[in-house]
Amino acid sequence: MNGHERKRFATAAVLSCVAVAMLGLSLWSPTLYRLFCQATGFEGTLRTTNVPPPSGTTATEVLVRFDANVNSALPWRFHPLQREVRLRLGEEALIHYTAVNLSDKPITGMATFNVVPEKAAPYFSKLECFCFTEQTLLPGQEVSMPVVFYVDPGLAEDPTTRDVGTITLSYTFYRSENQPTPTASAAPPSSSTAGAGG
Amino acid sequence: MAHGAAVAHGEHEHHPTGWKRWVYSTNHKDIGTMYIVLSMIAALVGGLMSWAIRLELAEPGIQFIHDTHFYNVLVTAHGFIMVFFVVMPAMIGGFGNWFVPLMIGAPDMAFPRMNNISFWLTAAGFILLMLSAVVGEGPGTGWTVYPPLSSIAFHPGPSVDFGILALHVAGAGSILGAINFIVTIFNMRAPGMTMHRMPLFVWSILVTAFLLLLALPVLAGALTMLLTDRNFGTHFYEVAGGGDPLLWQHLFWFFGHPEVYIIILPAFGIISQIVSTFAKKPVFGYLGMAYAMVSIGVVGFVVWAHHMFMTGIGVNARAYFTVATLIIAVPTGIKIFSWLATMWGGSIEFKAPMLYAMGFIWLFVMGGVTGVVLANGGIDTAFHDTYYVVAHFHYVMAIAAIFAMFGAWYYWIGKMTGRQYPEGLARVQFWVFFIGVNVLFFPQHFLGLAGMPRRIPDYPDVYAGWNFVSSIGAAITMAGTLLFYYVVFHTLASGRKAASNPWGEGATTLEWTVPSPAPFHTHEEMPVIAGGGHGHSHGHGMPRPAE
Ligand code: HEM
Ligand SMILES: [Cu+2]
Repeated sequence: MNGHERKRFATAAVLSCVAVAMLGLSLWSPTLYRLFCQATGFEGTLRTTNVPPPSGTTATEVLVRFDANVNSALPWRFHPLQREVRLRLGEEALIHYTAVNLSDKPITGMATFNVVPEKAAPYFSKLECFCFTEQTLLPGQEVSMPVVFYVDPGLAEDPTTRDVGTITLSYTFYRSENQPTPTASAAPPSSSTAGAGG
Repeated sequence: MAHGAAVAHGEHEHHPTGWKRWVYSTNHKDIGTMYIVLSMIAALVGGLMSWAIRLELAEPGIQFIHDTHFYNVLVTAHGFIMVFFVVMPAMIGGFGNWFVPLMIGAPDMAFPRMNNISFWLTAAGFILLMLSAVVGEGPGTGWTVYPPLSSIAFHPGPSVDFGILALHVAGAGSILGAINFIVTIFNMRAPGMTMHRMPLFVWSILVTAFLLLLALPVLAGALTMLLTDRNFGTHFYEVAGGGDPLLWQHLFWFFGHPEVYIIILPAFGIISQIVSTFAKKPVFGYLGMAYAMVSIGVVGFVVWAHHMFMTGIGVNARAYFTVATLIIAVPTGIKIFSWLATMWGGSIEFKAPMLYAMGFIWLFVMGGVTGVVLANGGIDTAFHDTYYVVAHFHYVMAIAAIFAMFGAWYYWIGKMTGRQYPEGLARVQFWVFFIGVNVLFFPQHFLGLAGMPRRIPDYPDVYAGWNFVSSIGAAITMAGTLLFYYVVFHTLASGRKAASNPWGEGATTLEWTVPSPAPFHTHEEMPVIAGGGHGHSHGHGMPRPAE
């Protein structure tokens, strides 16, 4: 390799690294995106925290409404027990959603959630919730799902959120990809005999 | 003259003939020619699809495309073919391969074998894309491939997977091509050909290559995740599994906005060469022109969410993306005014390439103005996904790029084939095409203002009038296109012999110093460029070879 060629290959190597780095960045982006949304409340992403509300509430009140949706592939009924609560900023609240499995099979569902208006998301702190955790309901089973949250007093101080009087918390349940495996008794009996014979 | 000896030497050297000459080609001119031929074939396929679309839209109601999914497949394939297999191959692979080495005094591209691979990957991508339409239900996703429409639930067959593979393969070819161009331009310039004396076409390919290098891997990553979502049960874009379909839109447009500049930057370069040649003046503000392209490239990476104003992004994000997008209009304006200043007071010859260059400027200004309208997050609430957007990007990107390609073809065909095109017929072809595209796309602004949505084969009667006009325009455009193919045929069959410089004193770049057609090997001994300051101190905004 003469000097000219070495220079060409060196440049090409650097450029290839740039391309690979961009590919890596794009494959890493789901994680980055989630972190970004959690850090900024982008797209109404909520903070789940274990930091208790700052001591002392303020006089300002906010109305929090609750919304529930179920994807059509999931034969469940799902709704909040309270339509809305009015609470002071910094005040902790406990509310319940309830879900019923209407089918005759055990089914696993999974919930996603966000708040509207999105700009209020950074101030909406949940201490306990059923978000993203998979829930398996037996046929006809009904469960109550608690949500503990507070709205940070910072909401009233931030000039971009000062006008927010109502926040809607919305959950959507989907059918999970991981469904419960059928119990042993439900398995076809032939499988065990086939195993023994083989 | 040094290169004279080099040429004589080159012609005696053995080089492959017959099919081997093309399939195994490592010669930048032959590879460039193959790219241009691929583009001309793909243009016929993509063009036929658009004419089918306009025929369907000529009147309210369904005319002949009863399967509305098939209509979506047509729209999708038309977009993909035009972007990835017509414009990019012709401008970057075709004219870029042909003229970057010639203009900087290099004997060939830095990696000739990799150049061959780039071409064949692009060709394979085109074949895969064609296959995607015949396996399964056909991809009806639009060129933006948004999930959940593109997910397994709504496109269960293999066609979207074929489409993804097509883009992967063609994208890999383009990334290799981009590396090749950057290495060539950085390391293989002739002595005296400093960066600040390179012709603007070379600058435009350099910036384009960087955009390809940074943007295409992101598309590749996004597509890979879509592929695994569809086939291997991952949930990058599936809400049900904790993913987010908006992530696709962010990644797609992070690639997609630079992509539109990948298409138009080489056109900027071509137009600069043509305008200065036919105004017989150096390009006004050479350095400003070069760095305007660089800054358009840089800013182009931070404006992507202007395609996502309606996805529910917050008011602060909309404000930022509005302002960032409007800023792009500044370097764009520098380019427009510099072209006008180059023409100002010049003794302009209205030959076909110059007509196309001036047509380009008109189209690009039209599309730029509607772009500035759309950039406003508030206004875009009304215009998003209407025919106003369709009119915007066809003016600013699609048709403008085609004008630059036609202009480049007329400008360089003598150098490439040794035969000059028929001037009178070419001017007729220009006017037919120019009138056609304006009648075709101008009314689409009115349709969009009136709220007609894009990507739907039927519409209420109120939109009938302008749609009919638009379809008439499509027929005129079709006539202009076929006339172009006739001009090509006529030139190759019986064009008169081209001089090594058919354009006279205005044509100052190095490709005009070699004979026409350019011999198989050129610049084997590097030409030496006379010293001096920036290109513009040389009288023509571009360097002159040593005499
Ligand atoms: C002054 C510069 C420009 C501005 C301010 C601008 C602005 C915009 C905006 C805001 C949109 C989104 C409209 C919507 O979907 O609601 C858009 C769409 C588009 N623009 Fe531009 N644009 C500019 C230049 C360009 C250029 C130079 C090109 C290509 C060469 C281009 C190609 C496109 C394309 C292809 C779309 C539509 C993509 C799709 O939805 O399929 N634009 N433009
Ligand atoms: Cu854009």
